[in-house]
Amino acid sequence: MSPLDIFMLVARVAFAAFIPLCFIAVCVWMERRGAGYFQDRSGPNRANIFGFRAAGLVQNLADAAKLFFKEDVISDHIKHKFYFVLAPVIVFFTALVSFAVVPFADTLVLGGKSYIMQGIPLDLGILWFLSFVGFSVYGIILAGWSSTNKFGVLGALRSAAQVISYEIPMGLAIVSLLVVYGTVNLNEIAQFQGKLLFGFIPMWGAVLQPLGMVIFIIAAFAETNRTPFDLAEGESELVAGFHVEYSAMKFAIFFMGEYVAMFASSAMIVTLFFGGYQVPFLSTATLISQAKPLAFLLMIILPVVMHFFAGWIRRSNVSHYPRENDPRVFEATVYIKCFWGLVIILEVLLLAILFSASGGPTAHIFVVLLQVCTFLFKITMMIFVYIWVRWTLPRFRYDQLQKLGWQMLLPLALLNIFITSAFVVALS
Amino acid sequence: MSAKVKTMDRKGASLQERLYLIEIFKGMATTFGHFFRNLLDNRKLYVRHYPEVQPEIPAGWRGRHRLTSHADGTVKCVACFMCQTNCPANCIMIKAGERQDGKTEKMPVKFTIDLLECIYCGYCVEACPLDAIRMDTGIFSVTGNNRESFILELPELLASPGAYSEEEYKKGGA
Repeated sequence: MSPLDIFMLVARVAFAAFIPLCFIAVCVWMERRGAGYFQDRSGPNRANIFGFRAAGLVQNLADAAKLFFKEDVISDHIKHKFYFVLAPVIVFFTALVSFAVVPFADTLVLGGKSYIMQGIPLDLGILWFLSFVGFSVYGIILAGWSSTNKFGVLGALRSAAQVISYEIPMGLAIVSLLVVYGTVNLNEIAQFQGKLLFGFIPMWGAVLQPLGMVIFIIAAFAETNRTPFDLAEGESELVAGFHVEYSAMKFAIFFMGEYVAMFASSAMIVTLFFGGYQVPFLSTATLISQAKPLAFLLMIILPVVMHFFAGWIRRSNVSHYPRENDPRVFEATVYIKCFWGLVIILEVLLLAILFSASGGPTAHIFVVLLQVCTFLFKITMMIFVYIWVRWTLPRFRYDQLQKLGWQMLLPLALLNIFITSAFVVALS
Repeated sequence: MSAKVKTMDRKGASLQERLYLIEIFKGMATTFGHFFRNLLDNRKLYVRHYPEVQPEIPAGWRGRHRLTSHADGTVKCVACFMCQTNCPANCIMIKAGERQDGKTEKMPVKFTIDLLECIYCGYCVEACPLDAIRMDTGIFSVTGNNRESFILELPELLASPGAYSEEEYKKGGA
């Protein structure tokens, strides 16, 4: 193995391991500020370090510090303390590992060697994801059962029943997808979606399989225990459901596991239905050959976007009441300067691409970074949809949940398989 | 006379509503409208920036108690125990003593209000025959580091001024 091989190996594993962790902070921040804005309030915006609030991101640090230093209580009535401690670990670990097979950029070709951009280069991408998502509910069931608490057990039972009902439509939705794509390898699926339908529509899963997409997204919401399917938690009915006996870092691991699961399932939805890492209308080959015009275009777009962004920061980051020498104006100025500095660094890097040999390694690396950014942007949008749905819909009642799963989604998924198969057979 | 019966239409029976997804998207459009409006201009949030911007307290509002005094600064209270007897939370403790300044015969030597017990019902104010206890300080947030700081004694109760003029207070009821 050359040093480059080792570097690429470390880089892709690190990406798959640390990006979900970084996104926990972003998710929690989006959830809380987003919830505030959805409900016409401001959300956490007071916590600061030397007056710098970073739009509320500092609140995450405060929360984390609080959870670290809280007393870690394991109540005496809990008989199976090992399982009690194991449960949050299972939830967190399975969520983190299920992201590992998702490709975050197209295969990178450097010096005649190709490097796969996946945490674990596995051909059975979807199956790995399905198995680990199904396994994560074991953590929830174990947590509820080992808590020796009626609310915990009820939450765990609900979660178990819910997962049985929704794994099936999810699996069937994936079956119809596999009929279209003809592969279970996620990288090949993403490459397939880079093509164009009739020459102008991106061949995304959302276009080819609209019904499958709806079923999969609904089932994915249920799998991650998010509203409207958060019956396992159901704070108004079951206090906190499966994690009622958990405190301090054990609770925090559950909490973070939920957000990592949300990130992983968003990544899966994006990979299966929204083109994965593909930039719309531009396949990897086009991107590599057109790297220079693209870099030039980005060099023009970036300052323009930054200009409007700076204006928005200046308007938003002020005190909305009379205040002498408003410190938030200074704060906004510092943010804007930081962002302009970032833009200047990016501009310099893009300039380097403009002066490098066309089609060379720089172009390849540029394309990979562009695809990674596209992928993360799409995931962020999908996470926003999760948050958006959470703050719009009320929770399903238990019988409604089962009715939706068995009487609506299951027949629809079967029908979708029939229609898709008929189309594929007729067209081939 | 028969009871008035109003028949409510039950929603959710039409095909469009039974499809569910369309209604979900309508709801999501509504919430997104709020999100986007607030994101573009966060002045439009329905939020009072609380510690900096204080709410306006009307004169009829029952805030923290105070004891009123005559124009010459002597306490109005005659220790008749009306407020203590009326108090449903048993938070007022009065110790009466002889009055030396000749205005009346009795006066409170100790007048203690335990704010941790008080339910701010205002019965003490209504019961007082001499308008000696009022809840017009406009203090709505009583905070402290220990339990003792919530037990008000006579000097503190006399020291806190009323937040409103006499006319405003009379108009506001209480």
